Amino acid sequence: MSAGRAAAQLGPPLRWPRVLVVGWFYQLKMQAQSGFMIMTALVQPLIFATIAMADQQAGNRSLPILFYALGAGIMGIWSTVVFGCGGVISWQRHQGMLEPLVMAPVPFVLVLMGITLGTATVGLYSMGATLLWAAVVFRAHVQLADPLAFILAAVVTVVSLGLLGLVMGSSFVLYRNSNSISNMLEYPVWLVTGLLVPLSLLPGWTHPLAYVLAPTWGVQALRAAALGGQPLPDLGWCLLASLAYLALGVWLVGRVEVRARSAATLTFQ
Amino acid sequence: MSAVALTGRAGWDHFWRVFLIGGLISYRALFYWISPWQYIPTMLAAPLFQILFFVYLGRSTGVGSTSFFVVGNSIQICSMAGIYGMTMAISNERQFQTLSPILATPSNRLAIFLGRGLPVLITGFQTTCFGFLVSALILGFRPDPGSLPLLAVAVVVTAASCTGFGMALGSVGLRVRDVFLISNIAYFAVLLVCGVEVPLSQLPGGVRAMAQFLPLTHGIAAGRLLAAGRGGGTAVADILLELAVGVAWAAFAYLLFRYFERSGRRTGAFDRL
Repeated sequence: MSAGRAAAQLGPPLRWPRVLVVGWFYQLKMQAQSGFMIMTALVQPLIFATIAMADQQAGNRSLPILFYALGAGIMGIWSTVVFGCGGVISWQRHQGMLEPLVMAPVPFVLVLMGITLGTATVGLYSMGATLLWAAVVFRAHVQLADPLAFILAAVVTVVSLGLLGLVMGSSFVLYRNSNSISNMLEYPVWLVTGLLVPLSLLPGWTHPLAYVLAPTWGVQALRAAALGGQPLPDLGWCLLASLAYLALGVWLVGRVEVRARSAATLTFQ
Repeated sequence: MSAVALTGRAGWDHFWRVFLIGGLISYRALFYWISPWQYIPTMLAAPLFQILFFVYLGRSTGVGSTSFFVVGNSIQICSMAGIYGMTMAISNERQFQTLSPILATPSNRLAIFLGRGLPVLITGFQTTCFGFLVSALILGFRPDPGSLPLLAVAVVVTAASCTGFGMALGSVGLRVRDVFLISNIAYFAVLLVCGVEVPLSQLPGGVRAMAQFLPLTHGIAAGRLLAAGRGGGTAVADILLELAVGVAWAAFAYLLFRYFERSGRRTGAFDRL
């Protein structure tokens, strides 16, 4: 019996991880070949990393180059999430795939989760690229204080951003011009989550916004693991944020699915 | 160039009609972000957040004053209309499969081509004015009042040169399938290369030399001088240089447009998507 058939004969809850993994892998393959995604995850973060590092070298040098390399890497992941996940349901609808996906005998939220996690994973390109750029072009000493914690932090950050993408994808669908929200959401999140600018420099009223956004905790955990510090508390907050996004995403997707089925708008553009 | 060569046999009336009315109609049809639901988040909110982001980055790194980043970014955001808007205005004709009918008409090509630039130029100017206004309100940006008329001239000229640059990118879209990828890279690359976020003196010599031939570089330099109340001859010279760069890009774009038009007719490239 093939592994695929064996998995297909499993009961629903046991089949769910397979749906998630296959969806994640398929999305990863697709997005990794998209010119737009490569631009978003590779070229754009490198430009921002260069700007930040050049400013650092021309300025007061109060923060290390690695601070900016890691921040620019997360900026790339956020951009892929914002553009790749924001319009995920609208895109499936545009492709004529929303109806078959909703009809498939697995929870629709799992299908979407595979897509959003796959998209966030593509953003890891940017992390690797900005670290390499810092080492090669700016001759930064890229030595990770705790490599294991760094890998763990990178995985948790990607998962949390993928789940945040699920929330965005299911809420943006209610807004016809979701791409314009995506255009608008890049800079404010880069700013309030402290990716290139320390949170202490921002007005106090922005801090609560930072605390509910996973990139804040993700980048702090990565910086602690890379530069020396305690990454575990930040990782814990990142995981907590992920669980909250998961719960909200499941609820939102359920609402959207029921609403679209009852209004018969699954195939509407 | 004789008047007939410039306007075609139909004369100036026809030229102006295609330039003004044709340009306006094409803007309404092809500029994605024209509805308020798109315009406000994309053309106003996103540029505003861009200004804030780089002002705070500048404060963190200590590389330049608030005014350095406000002027650089407020002028640079006019390139959003210039680069993306012109790419849409020219290459979207191909995407929507309306390019072949347009090129089958005997209309003056220069009027078709330049007419698309005017609404985009105005949009870019508006975006920069909005950037300056909001920066004055929330960041305490105070340009020298005496320099404001010349600053406005610098912004119009820079918006025009970005439009010329965008025309070249849009013309490439007559041949290349995914021209928006190039536009995206161009939009972000000018942030780095043209002295918007990093002082030109900090960039390598090769990049500095390249920046002299790109839009924004001289316009932003003029804008910074004028905002600081140090207008005079240097700022005027920078504005004239920006104008020259813009005219050169627009002329290059027009040649590119005509070349791709001719080769597209031969190869049937207009209908290949």
